[in-house]
Amino acid sequence: MKKVDEVYKGLIDIFNKANNEGVTAIQLSDHLNLHRSSISRYLNQLYKEGKVEKIQGRPVLYKPKEERTNVGDNQNKVNIFQKVIGSNESLNIPIQQAKAAILYPPNGLHTLILGETGVGKTMFAELMYDFAKESEVIYKDAPFVSFNCADYADNPQLLLGQLFGVKKGAYTGADKDKDGLLKKADGGILFLDEVHRLPPVGQEMLFTYIDKGFFRRLGDTENVIYSKVLIISATTENPQSYLLKTFTRRIPMIINLPSLEERSLKERLQLIEEFFKEESKRIGMSIYVDKKCLISLLLYDCPNNIGQLKGDIKLACAKAFLNYKSQNRDYILVTCKDLPQYAKKGIMKIKDSRKEVESILGSKGEILRFFYNEEENKISSHDHYNKDNFYDVIENKVNTLKNIGIQEHEISEIVNINIENYFKKYMGDITNKLRRDEISKIVDGEILNIVEEILEKAQKKLNKEYNEKIYYSLALHLNSTVQRIKEGHKIFNPKLNFIRLNYSDEFLVSMELAKIIESKLDIELPLDEIGYITMFLAADKYDEENLTKDDRVGVLVIMHGNSTASSMVEVANRLVGEEHAKALDMPLNASPEELYNSAKEKVIEIDNGKGVLLMVDMGSLTNFGDMLYEDTGVKVITIEMVSTLLVIEACRKAVMGRSLKEIYNSCINTNPYLRKKSSRVKDVCVEKKNVIVTACFTGEGAAERLKNILKEKLNIEEDVKIIPLTLLDRKEFLERLEHLKKDNEILSIVGTIDIDIPDIPFISAHEIIAGNGIERLREIIDNEIIYEKIGKSLGCHLENIDSSIAVSHIRKILTDIQNDLSIVLSRDVLIGIILHMCFMLEKIKEGKAQIVYKNKEELFKKYSREYNIVERHIKSLENIFNVEIITDEICYIVRTIIENSVKFN
Amino acid sequence: MKILLCCAAGMSTSLIVEKMKKAAETRNMDVTIEAVSVDEIENVIQDYDVVLLGPQVKYKKNQLQKLGDKHGKKVDVINPVDYGLVKGDKILDFAIKLREDE
Repeated sequence: MKKVDEVYKGLIDIFNKANNEGVTAIQLSDHLNLHRSSISRYLNQLYKEGKVEKIQGRPVLYKPKEERTNVGDNQNKVNIFQKVIGSNESLNIPIQQAKAAILYPPNGLHTLILGETGVGKTMFAELMYDFAKESEVIYKDAPFVSFNCADYADNPQLLLGQLFGVKKGAYTGADKDKDGLLKKADGGILFLDEVHRLPPVGQEMLFTYIDKGFFRRLGDTENVIYSKVLIISATTENPQSYLLKTFTRRIPMIINLPSLEERSLKERLQLIEEFFKEESKRIGMSIYVDKKCLISLLLYDCPNNIGQLKGDIKLACAKAFLNYKSQNRDYILVTCKDLPQYAKKGIMKIKDSRKEVESILGSKGEILRFFYNEEENKISSHDHYNKDNFYDVIENKVNTLKNIGIQEHEISEIVNINIENYFKKYMGDITNKLRRDEISKIVDGEILNIVEEILEKAQKKLNKEYNEKIYYSLALHLNSTVQRIKEGHKIFNPKLNFIRLNYSDEFLVSMELAKIIESKLDIELPLDEIGYITMFLAADKYDEENLTKDDRVGVLVIMHGNSTASSMVEVANRLVGEEHAKALDMPLNASPEELYNSAKEKVIEIDNGKGVLLMVDMGSLTNFGDMLYEDTGVKVITIEMVSTLLVIEACRKAVMGRSLKEIYNSCINTNPYLRKKSSRVKDVCVEKKNVIVTACFTGEGAAERLKNILKEKLNIEEDVKIIPLTLLDRKEFLERLEHLKKDNEILSIVGTIDIDIPDIPFISAHEIIAGNGIERLREIIDNEIIYEKIGKSLGCHLENIDSSIAVSHIRKILTDIQNDLSIVLSRDVLIGIILHMCFMLEKIKEGKAQIVYKNKEELFKKYSREYNIVERHIKSLENIFNVEIITDEICYIVRTIIENSVKFN
Repeated sequence: MKILLCCAAGMSTSLIVEKMKKAAETRNMDVTIEAVSVDEIENVIQDYDVVLLGPQVKYKKNQLQKLGDKHGKKVDVINPVDYGLVKGDKILDFAIKLREDE
């Protein structure tokens, strides 16, 4: 207890005893055994704080401003312990014990409270005191005397004097008789904190008192003093320690207070809320708290328990308040930045307790508001946004990733991964929560009507049944969409391209539905939003596509250094949202054999029959893969010079259930170093042959027949080879395809069974025979041939660049740009732009003066998004051709692309 | 005969101009061929007989056609394959035919 509070309490004690007359500083000085000048200083402080009234005169009299006692109040009687956070949970037993200790006849039981620093021992003792008064075991004005044995631990004599009183002459300086605290607490409670600091003599004296009910003052051998005091002691010591064993023997009631860690997160949240509320009351304003900050506070290591938690929250509030003042903000917002370094780390532990955190915070918004409400005396958390909507989840992810320095285009890749899971969860959660009549309270009636209408339409068009679940979720979703659009927020759907490709039927229907929504609500739905609507319409497909964990490729990261691998893996797993990748650290002094054996064990452990991707940095590690394969039979592919980004990429793909080969390829494409290497290889073998693969189970029957049909119907004059392959073993098929890819451009796969290979169009045998498959194939060939020819024919005109390579790179870029911008460019336009860009590269290489684009500012203003996307792709040419492409050039290209584009919707 | 070629920045067409000139030379034709960017066309259109557009400025065709009509000039987009393969010969034919259609 702070000295100033002690003085306040002392004042109240005397005030109550002295029949409510003013108290002088001298009286207090005697009572508390503190020097008068200090007493006066504290009293002045209390006066300033408005806790104490002065009655002018000589001497000045002080009295407490308000009657402190509100005991006897019926409500409190029931609630004194009930109000405590955790009273029905972690504190249930301690409270039962405390009540028993107080009520035990005739005079209660002396109590020892055990608990770590900051768990609230003092508060608990005070509560026991209040409870005792409330239960009328002690008088309303009974004293509560608090003493910290550590305060005088260096001077045992003084300490014992304080506690038991001193007879005049007992020692030098003891110039008069003095009562001890044990006497002063007569009729009430004496709280002895840090009782383990009590010297052995003092313990003996205390035990004597406990046994017999009386004690002697220091230096007094004649008189015994009787006093009726309930002793509540407290310590942080281990109860098994020598000292405490004697204590525990003598003191009948031992109450264990749980540490913060032992308490549930729910309780911790209540505590946090309580403290924010207190701060809010102190400041007199609402306090807004960022959810991430709240999660950090929930999870960080807090060795000094509640006391520390409270202190850290106070500090955070103070910082936030400072920002509010210094930056003239409209509100006080506490974010992670305001937390001490160790508390910020809390958010990193989310992976261990994600579920629990979600279950207690799930319904809360991204920003929580705390304010002190006198009437309810209860905090209320106010959701700023519609709860449970995609956008916030995505935006948050994006922001987190941005903050750790990941590039924008990589972000959207990473965000991809969780969105489906989230979607599923969203759908699952909603129906449990809502009934039809309830939804009308949340969602606007007009929107409900629209949803009914569009779902009916979708059912007819897609020939599907949509259940109530979809209805509810779509309604809720649309509700927040509309709100978002009206507020001018952006809608971003990182899976848009995937959705368009995989759910094309649903996507087309969604576009029609969007038109209905647009006209009825007079808003404009962006393509990204149509993507979301598509997800609802295609929701039935998600379940089928659920991957079991067994289908995944393992990822093992091995790095030199004590924790390099672990920390990379930690970041990757956290971002991917699953503990998929495994780490093996290689301290510099570890022997390679040792390490190899651990690697072997790990590989066997994590292989699910799909192989393991080994990600290493350098040296001998790069040879591990082959050795492991020979030793264990597990298919292992090694990637070297691995970066964190690469681990994220591998992890992401693995979790999505991609094959080892696919993951390997996409890693190669992500890693700039490896990519350079591979593009150099590509430069050497420019002459790729065009190939169409036909496939059936045997590679003979249907595949051969398809080959003949194609030959006949296609009238191929160009150099296109048709190769039949067997599909019996998918793995083998993929390997052969990979092999073919080395020297050939695979234009298309025609087969009896659907084979989904990224970047290679598939045409079914059925389409070839009965549909427009031949035309499609023709188009594919024409497309390929024309570009190839352009590449060749430019060859004789361009001196500084390899035109074939340029054409193929530029084509790739243009495809990506079309995807990213959700536009379609006609073939004519593509050819024009390819030519333009080839000449552009040539001229830059030549060093000829580059062109100037006049209205750059206007273009930036109008098409900043488009510019950024196009620029990003075009910049990738810089490395390949070793040129610098200036803004003006990019402006021309952006304009050409925009002006020619056919918007998807 | 005066032919005006037009593309986004006047870049890709310059090679085509060269090839067309060569083709005209072998045919002993007297032609003037120039390449300009799309933004300059308005200032020079009256000096030429026909205007050929690169495929990437196809979007401008309608607008330029109106301009051409005003000056009594034909405007059309070059066949993308000929353009892509830089077939000066064929593009020259196209220009001649366009003018004859008048």
